[in-house]
Amino acid sequence: MLLLLHDKLAVAGLIIILVFIFVSIAAPLLVGSYPTQFERTTALQPPSSAHPFGTDWQGFDVLKLVVYGGRVSLLIGFTSSLVAMLLGTTVGLVAGYYGRVTDQLLSRATDFFLVIPWLPFVLILVAILGSTLPTIIFAIAIVSWPTTARIIRSQVLTVKERQFIERARAVGSGNGFILRKHILPNVMPLVWAEAVLTISSAVFTEAFLSFFGLGWRGPGAVESWGQIANEAYTNLALLRGLWLYFAPPGIFITLVVLGFAMLGYGLEEVLNPALRRRR
Amino acid sequence: MTVFLIATLNFFIVQVLPGDPTRVLLPRGSSNVTQGGSDLRAQLTRQWGLDQPITTRYVLYFANLLQGNLGTTITYQKGGMPVAGVIAPRLSTTLVLVGLATAATMWLGLVLGRISGWRRGRPVDVSITMATLIGYSMPSFWVSLMLIYSLAFVVPVFPAFGVQSRNAATFDPLTQVLDQLYHYFLPVVTFVITNVAWFSLTLRNSLTDTLPEDYMLTAMAKGLTERQQLRKHAMPNARLPVLTASALYFGWVVSGAIVIEEVFNIPGLGQLTWDATRVRDFPLLSGVFLVATLGVVVANAIADLLYMYLDPRVREA
Repeated sequence: MLLLLHDKLAVAGLIIILVFIFVSIAAPLLVGSYPTQFERTTALQPPSSAHPFGTDWQGFDVLKLVVYGGRVSLLIGFTSSLVAMLLGTTVGLVAGYYGRVTDQLLSRATDFFLVIPWLPFVLILVAILGSTLPTIIFAIAIVSWPTTARIIRSQVLTVKERQFIERARAVGSGNGFILRKHILPNVMPLVWAEAVLTISSAVFTEAFLSFFGLGWRGPGAVESWGQIANEAYTNLALLRGLWLYFAPPGIFITLVVLGFAMLGYGLEEVLNPALRRRR
Repeated sequence: MTVFLIATLNFFIVQVLPGDPTRVLLPRGSSNVTQGGSDLRAQLTRQWGLDQPITTRYVLYFANLLQGNLGTTITYQKGGMPVAGVIAPRLSTTLVLVGLATAATMWLGLVLGRISGWRRGRPVDVSITMATLIGYSMPSFWVSLMLIYSLAFVVPVFPAFGVQSRNAATFDPLTQVLDQLYHYFLPVVTFVITNVAWFSLTLRNSLTDTLPEDYMLTAMAKGLTERQQLRKHAMPNARLPVLTASALYFGWVVSGAIVIEEVFNIPGLGQLTWDATRVRDFPLLSGVFLVATLGVVVANAIADLLYMYLDPRVREA
């Protein structure tokens, strides 16, 4: 893990992520509570001292919306990644350990989900299931797990040939026990690296989903960065010259995606033996 | 096999998941409240074959699919138009856009990847890697709109949308082609910015893997120039993983096309996806999804053939 600190890219990524997590958690302290219907002012105002980024189509302060938007993007990123990791790790472990027909079936399924175009697939799923928080998380997880499954599977293939596995089998350990106690701990570091990379792609996917108008809706919903960008787009913010309404959400999406990607690649290079040679 | 799986998945997504097409077809409120509405609903259910058991519908779906029948859209042009008929004319537009964009992305990616792989660890490499990674992290809808804002609105150099000028019909053929290329410039630039990392980073990493090999030392020892070492020994080995990585890239092409066509108002499949999503036209949406997935599968098959051609070991065998 200390090796990671030598990787400037990974450290920069970590700093970006920590800043965004801090801002999201401290949002009420920084900009006050989430705007309600009573706080409406004139819609689509240009930037002023009261509203540094101007106001949105409903008359809410754009800065406030953008600060709160990070909460949704990060929440969906983290939870989708968690679900995708559970799915991907399980499939990878089972496929790699049991081999034969099980492996064939699971690997074909993995390849299949790896190749299908993710955006139309997510759009269809959410359009049919509805834009609630659980369905969005589920849909993003469905397109995010295959890479992990593939990487974990190939790692399991090498781990299961090692001598301590044979020893465990010789003293009478069952398959489930070996998988849990011997193989999982050995692939776990890679799962962490993949989890970070998956958060990056999940935040990205959520942004597209929201931009297509399929973001989180319903009581208690907070607008994500993708939704703010979508509203700025549909309200012709750029044609009105209100670029501070449209630009910030996109910049923040880029920074968060980039931050997680840099940390993830750094972790992967440190933790994946196949990549270490490159350093 | 993959095609069969995709079609099956496609069928089940639309059929099994909750949601009732009659709700979209009928005006809001008329579906279950009024007496007339419920009659209409039963009639529609019969007309669309929704009262058949699921196995019958599944067999019917495949029989239709084999004849190139993708079903009927429920909203597009007042409904009743075959999905295949809506998709076909838009396919060529998308193929032109995606073809131009992929060629540009691949070319730039290979050039950048070669530079940064050869000079790895140097400032050139660091800046290329960072720049492509930043481009890769930017959502394409944002990049395209910012490009339109800066290069078509603030400084009006390029057209903001469309595939040709309004008076294009009066131009001679050559000017028409140039005019179209001019309109495709910003969409292609968006595509290059957001996707170039696929090729540059893969080539960089595979070059990095190639350089410590013994045959590279031999090449240097026998006095080849850097250029010769790179062209004759490093590149033929390093470009193979790039082809393998393109399998994932094709899935992203579809996503890129959807966003870029909508933002730039290019009448292709991507824009159709957006429209179909907005009005919840599931037959149309699943038809587009099927065509897009088929496209990805075909592109991958072509990449496999290219791999065989480019890999001397496979070619000789």
